[in-house]
Amino acid sequence: MLISFSWLRYHVALSDTETPDAVADKLKLSTVEVEGIVRSGQPLDNIVVGKVLSAEKHPEADRLKVCHVDVGNEELDIVCGGSNVAVGMLVVVAKNGAKVKWHGEGDLVELKPTKIRGVVSNGMICGADEVGLINRFPKKEEKEIVDVTSLKLKPGTPLAAIVGSPDAVLEIDNKSLSNRPDLWGHYGIAREVAVLTGRPLKPYVVKSIKKGSGVNLSVSVAEQQLCPRYMAVAMSVTVVPSPTWLQEKLIVIGIRPINNVVDVLNYVMLDTSQPLHAFDARHLPDGAIVVRPAQEGETIVTLDEKQRKLTPDMLVIANKEKPVAIAGVMGGLESAVKNDTTTIVIESANFNATAIRKATTKLGLRTDASARFEKGLDPNVCETALQKAVEMLSAINKTFHVVSEVVDVGKSKRSPQQLEMPINFFEKKLGVAIPPKTTRDILMRLGFGVKEKKGQLLITIPTWRAKDVTRAEDIVEEVVRIYGYSAIPASLPVFPITPPEKNTLQTLERNLLDTLVKEEAFTEVYNYSFVSDKQIERIGDTKDRYLALDNPLSSEKPYLRRCLVLNLLENIVDNSANRVEIKLVEVGKVFRPEEPGMRATNNGDELLPAQDTYLTAVYTNKKDQNPFVKIRQALESLTSVLDAGLIIKPAKEAGIGRHPARNADLIYKGQVVGAIYELHPAASRNFGIDSRVGVLKLNVSKLADQWQPPKAGYTSLPSYPEVRRDIAIVVKKDVTFEQVEKTLKQADPLLVAYELFDVYEGATIGQENKSLALHLTFSHTERTLTSDEVDKAYQKITDNLIKKLVAEVRS
Amino acid sequence: MEHKLEELKKDALQAVKAAKDKLHLEEVANKLLGRKQGELTILLKGLKDLSDEMRKSAGQLANEVKQTIEEAINVKRNTFEAEEMKTRLVEEKIDISVPALPKKTRGHLHPNTIVQRDLEDLFSSMGFTVLDGPELESDYYNFTALNIPETHPARDMQDTFYIKGHANWVMRTHTSPMQVRAMQKYGAPLRVVVLGKCFRNEATDVRHEHTFYQMEGLVVDENITFSHLKGVLEIVAKHLYGDDTQVRLRPKFYPFVEPGVNGEVTCFTCQGKGCRLCKNSGWLEIFGAGLVHPNVLKEGGIDPEKYQGFAFGFGLTRLAMLQYGIDDIRLLESGNLSFLEQF
Repeated sequence: MLISFSWLRYHVALSDTETPDAVADKLKLSTVEVEGIVRSGQPLDNIVVGKVLSAEKHPEADRLKVCHVDVGNEELDIVCGGSNVAVGMLVVVAKNGAKVKWHGEGDLVELKPTKIRGVVSNGMICGADEVGLINRFPKKEEKEIVDVTSLKLKPGTPLAAIVGSPDAVLEIDNKSLSNRPDLWGHYGIAREVAVLTGRPLKPYVVKSIKKGSGVNLSVSVAEQQLCPRYMAVAMSVTVVPSPTWLQEKLIVIGIRPINNVVDVLNYVMLDTSQPLHAFDARHLPDGAIVVRPAQEGETIVTLDEKQRKLTPDMLVIANKEKPVAIAGVMGGLESAVKNDTTTIVIESANFNATAIRKATTKLGLRTDASARFEKGLDPNVCETALQKAVEMLSAINKTFHVVSEVVDVGKSKRSPQQLEMPINFFEKKLGVAIPPKTTRDILMRLGFGVKEKKGQLLITIPTWRAKDVTRAEDIVEEVVRIYGYSAIPASLPVFPITPPEKNTLQTLERNLLDTLVKEEAFTEVYNYSFVSDKQIERIGDTKDRYLALDNPLSSEKPYLRRCLVLNLLENIVDNSANRVEIKLVEVGKVFRPEEPGMRATNNGDELLPAQDTYLTAVYTNKKDQNPFVKIRQALESLTSVLDAGLIIKPAKEAGIGRHPARNADLIYKGQVVGAIYELHPAASRNFGIDSRVGVLKLNVSKLADQWQPPKAGYTSLPSYPEVRRDIAIVVKKDVTFEQVEKTLKQADPLLVAYELFDVYEGATIGQENKSLALHLTFSHTERTLTSDEVDKAYQKITDNLIKKLVAEVRS
Repeated sequence: MEHKLEELKKDALQAVKAAKDKLHLEEVANKLLGRKQGELTILLKGLKDLSDEMRKSAGQLANEVKQTIEEAINVKRNTFEAEEMKTRLVEEKIDISVPALPKKTRGHLHPNTIVQRDLEDLFSSMGFTVLDGPELESDYYNFTALNIPETHPARDMQDTFYIKGHANWVMRTHTSPMQVRAMQKYGAPLRVVVLGKCFRNEATDVRHEHTFYQMEGLVVDENITFSHLKGVLEIVAKHLYGDDTQVRLRPKFYPFVEPGVNGEVTCFTCQGKGCRLCKNSGWLEIFGAGLVHPNVLKEGGIDPEKYQGFAFGFGLTRLAMLQYGIDDIRLLESGNLSFLEQF
């Protein structure tokens, strides 16, 4: 919302030291967010109206024109880039020496004679935003210059004659006003400024309306709850443009003047925050106004010339036959005030905030009026606003007069609410005592009534604050924000030194991630929690297993991920251009609708879907045909976190998107907690990845349920020397290392350790075979082994391997 | 005999002195002192043929001669070795400016993770429990329990992602739902922080993301005041941006706190003088905070007459962007390695 500083000064007598900046700073610290200050009265010396006499194409530049412009006392050649410049057009010319805002941004720049691509340019033809005319002449396109032909001015007229007197406009962030309906007009802001500066606020004085005759208005309100108050009065008028002072006031804060009736109603809204509307009485036969829910199938063409479909949850203002306005949102085109209107009916009403908000959402139509109504306005202001509007119209033209009674449905005034609170409540909440006199003073200046009785404060809440002040905590806020948050000293709470509860999931997440990042050189990525139907298809899954967003931003990725792989594969594609090897890891939640998660409410039975945290790592290298090895290596480095309890078993189920012959489950304490596998070649191809991908996934939530930090165990160092021998065996490819291990373990008690150090496949040993080479360690706890003993044990092992695995031992 | 020894000594010292290099010196040494054929060795063998008295004096001399020669050889040898070492060290010069090859790749944590862990550790050290909680939340915990009524604009479709087929499920719009979950689970007194992913139905551009990360803090106890809130916020600000950092609080409306404020800290790039980063205000807005609304305590099963508390929250994503000067929020969730490898 835009607030005119000079308008504020009409309500509060500010001193010269209370500049727009000073006032904005105070508002920022205690009331609302002021996003900026725009000074509309920039120096306009040497800026005049000019008439374009000719416009030739610049010899060196297609988009520029060399214009010859009449500026009254002389004719100037000016190079202009305006897309719309044309011969005969009245334009705004900044002559040399003028100060303008280049392209509407930054500081003012003084113009000097210059050459543009070799052509001399004396001055510049301005855009609306360069000379403070943007509110009055909004731009249709970026490169446009302002066309003031419609003003019919003589070339040479100083621009100052068109632009109003200097003012400063405070740009207030509407979001910071969302709970303060009283601040949606200048008077409300003025009240705050008065409190913050200690200056008196002028009372809002309006004359009561003298009823007239001629029109019999009758108003019926079908649902009082949706329209707590409806006031209306008819006036005879002549519709003409407003006086300049009124137009200027509106232009400064970005409102385009329309005509005297509409301008006055807008002015009153911007002053009091109460939206008003005027109907042409010709469209209210018999003066009948009906406030009712719309009927199914009804439509209305609104002021913006759009046809709107209405539904029964929207409130309309209707005549006997059909709607003439959508209540609180926008008037109808047909019943609007036109140039030939002679009698108007002014509406000043109060509508239910929620109903208005729902209607605007449904219609996709937000207006200055609806923005105010949906905050919850004070119905008491209806009367003040209506009186102000009638007063202003009568003042503009003495012949305008009221031609009906003032109708007021639901006129019962909102009476102020009261609340009681202990005086020491402020100290209890804030941790510091504010002098009671200060407290009382702040509240009273804000319009609250304050009475003190036996340590209690009895507070009367002004009706315009009924919406946002309802309890003692709200009163504390009122006081402290004016008193100043900076005046509250900082201190630290005192707690017993109880250590915080352990968060195993967090510890595990960190340790696993750190290991992969620091030891295995994986890089952590963050991905969205959403996936597309294409991704689901590419991995070989079906959409029905996924939860979906009801209102996704784009229809591209509407599904909630069930695993992290889908987006990680996209990461591989995105990064593959200049990289041979890619190693990525992500930790995040996945959504599985078929598994139960946390409670949806404290007491109900409904459960949210399971949202386990997964760690997933992907690895690919364009030169690596068996990425399983590297991914298993990554897993093995996690044993520093998970100890040896993690078991790798051939996968029980094929899984989705997994290479069936390169697929293993990870088992921890009897439960499947993850998998390592190579991505199915078909899935790789579908995603457009031309290398093989290894995947490691761990359900960290499940692990965390069972996990205990690994314990290093000590066994005494061998007292007698160990003997090492190497062995190499050739077995069929389908013999697993697990089988070899089993055979070794059973072979001889003197064998205390073994370690695989090479696996070889190749033509020299036969295509169907593989060779495994191991270090074997022999020792005895009570004596030194003789070489004879070792030979015997070695022989036993060899025999066993040959017998059980049909192995060939190579020496 | 004694004469021979003197002669030998003289010749020997001459020979040692004349040795050109180490190899030559060793030849000389061997020729003189070799166990079998050494000149001195042979001479000494003749000692046994002498009379007792002569043997005694000649033996003494022989030892002296031997020591002298050995010492001379050692000195000469040390000289040669020192020279040899000197030459070797010069020859072994390497180019220390060559990077180690093959280049070892290292992994990288996401910048958000780095910032998040830093704060988790800070709050853990102050006795706060660290929580996360579900990202797909119920309407009840995300809104109702937080004093956000049915009609609040935050519930509009354009701000919140809803789940198809489950009218009361949403993607959490903030970490605040965990306030009530934590109160219900642990009761008062309470000290928790919640960190995690949040979602808003908002079109993405350089400064806006539909997915972002927040941190939330909650303290509930019998005598918790606004002054304490300010104290804790100052600790965080100083931890993040240095001891001279100040905190400024301004009113801001959040339904789940009363009074509610937003918190700004002294801009760390200009120390409050005003720059582009802080839009010339000297302040950076990073917190939202306030005293927990009594309705929220009630929903959490905590008696608002007996207990009060404060809550604060801030955007981890924003902190990470400020900390590293990241100018496009979309990079954070792009998976772009050229970006991620910078951290």
